[in-house]
Amino acid sequence: MSLLLFGIFAGLLVIGVPVAIAIGAGTLAAVWASGVPVLVVPQQMFAGINSFALVAVPMFILAGDIMAAGKISARLVQLADALIGFLKGGLSIVSILAAMFFAAISGSGAATTAAVSATLVPELKAKGYDPASAASLIAAGGTIGVVIPPSVPMILYAVIAQESVAKLFLNGFIPGVLMGLALMSIALVQGYRRAYPKGSPFSLRTIWRSFRSAFWGLMTPVIILGGIFSGIFTPSEAAVVAVDYAIFVSLFIYRDLGLKDIYRIVIRSGVTTAVIMFVISASAALSWALSNWQVPSAIAASVLSLSDEPMVVLAMILCVVLVTGIFIETASALIILTPILLPLVLQLGLDPVHFGIVLVVGLSIGMITPPVAINLYVASSVTGIGLERIAGAVLPYLFALIAVLVLVTYGPLLI
Amino acid sequence: MADLTERAVAAVLRPVVFAGMASLAVVITLQIVSRVLFTAVSWTEEVARFLLVWLTFLGATLALAEKRHIAVTVLTDRLPPRARRIVTAAGLLAMIAFLAALSWIGWSYMSMQSFQRSASLRIPMIYVYSVIPLSGALMAVLCLGQLLAVLTGREPDRSAP
Repeated sequence: MSLLLFGIFAGLLVIGVPVAIAIGAGTLAAVWASGVPVLVVPQQMFAGINSFALVAVPMFILAGDIMAAGKISARLVQLADALIGFLKGGLSIVSILAAMFFAAISGSGAATTAAVSATLVPELKAKGYDPASAASLIAAGGTIGVVIPPSVPMILYAVIAQESVAKLFLNGFIPGVLMGLALMSIALVQGYRRAYPKGSPFSLRTIWRSFRSAFWGLMTPVIILGGIFSGIFTPSEAAVVAVDYAIFVSLFIYRDLGLKDIYRIVIRSGVTTAVIMFVISASAALSWALSNWQVPSAIAASVLSLSDEPMVVLAMILCVVLVTGIFIETASALIILTPILLPLVLQLGLDPVHFGIVLVVGLSIGMITPPVAINLYVASSVTGIGLERIAGAVLPYLFALIAVLVLVTYGPLLI
Repeated sequence: MADLTERAVAAVLRPVVFAGMASLAVVITLQIVSRVLFTAVSWTEEVARFLLVWLTFLGATLALAEKRHIAVTVLTDRLPPRARRIVTAAGLLAMIAFLAALSWIGWSYMSMQSFQRSASLRIPMIYVYSVIPLSGALMAVLCLGQLLAVLTGREPDRSAP
């Protein structure tokens, strides 16, 4: 049965059928062929998304989209420039710090890439940086968007694995900062080697001025994360507070968006949400069917028969995660892999929160590995630089991120 | 034909998706405000969950009309035009089969729950479940339109935006 299921799923995926429908069609056909009542399919599709925790997904996407559309990202870039622009190759290092700031506001890699590249790439070009390299660096920095909380994939993992969203968020900080530092050090080396100019000179007055101008944007993570970690809000409520706050700031304080812009952004975020949620819905039926046929435990057993050494199994999992990330978009890959790999990880006695972080960091790298590489597409469409040129320049950043992934997997970084 | 159906569906569903997102934000804002200032209201979580379900299925329908679903198009993009048309048509046929079946099964599932009411607000669940057959049928019609366009030679652009 599971062969039929994966056969149809893979076959439809290859000929370009949307992921959610390929999953649903494979599941429905296999359930029907096995003689299980097919009513279980709509029942599970409904149950899989009838969850209050998932309300955080549309709201964090919306808050991030509103913030990215307004001038907040430009102000965050100015602050990052004031703080570390004095280094050689300063502007490219600034782009990573700005991505980290924005990651604390937005839960998506694409929104982070769009926000930073729209503001910085024109300036980088004007100051003589290699444009393809600059765009690919920002795309690589965009992956931090889903690692530093809030994070849409972490919410999805927490719901599927029945873990606490707050715990995952808390454990995203250190890996996110490590990714930022790794990318910055490469940018610094390139800055010296290519003799890039410096950005703004270091001055406390500029820092203070840009801090005040970015203040309202910087308060967003304070409100969201402070509210979640202190227990005032649930993550779903915090996401809605972020939306209310983003609308308030862009309409009344920065006044950079009108009601018409907000109408347009809300619909766009609604569709982005539905696309992800539809995959979750279909996957709920898929994972019901798989566990009905005991597929995850069979996979766990066969992997454990190869090796029951946690280090070795984790290495195999890392390979699976990276390869999946090359071909399947981050959220979909996470939704498909979690129910299959989690039983294996639990049998090894590994911590499910740690595994969630490894999964999110590993799949975030898939955002810059073509052919399916959302951040490269975003960077290319925002800057107008060809996809091949950006993809060609991404290699050093890719290796840096994989090094961080290995560190996150094997290092004692869990809080 | 395909364009017309797509445009009509999109024109109707855009305000609906907006309303869904906006109500979600309003309902939960209300939940927070009422908990902080007065006493917690119990129905907001339920309404938020049902709004999310509706938003998912109707938004997925809008995404189909706007061609924004996540798909792997690396292989189909490399095919020569004629082969690509055949493969695209086959994919659309499979989609129509699944969506029509989902709509049909969703309808029977909905009918089975005709006496069930929601836990908090006592809403008849038949209204909540009706979104599955409704959006399944709408998506099947959209795919049918795209299939006709492919067969008559006006190939819809299914590549990612």
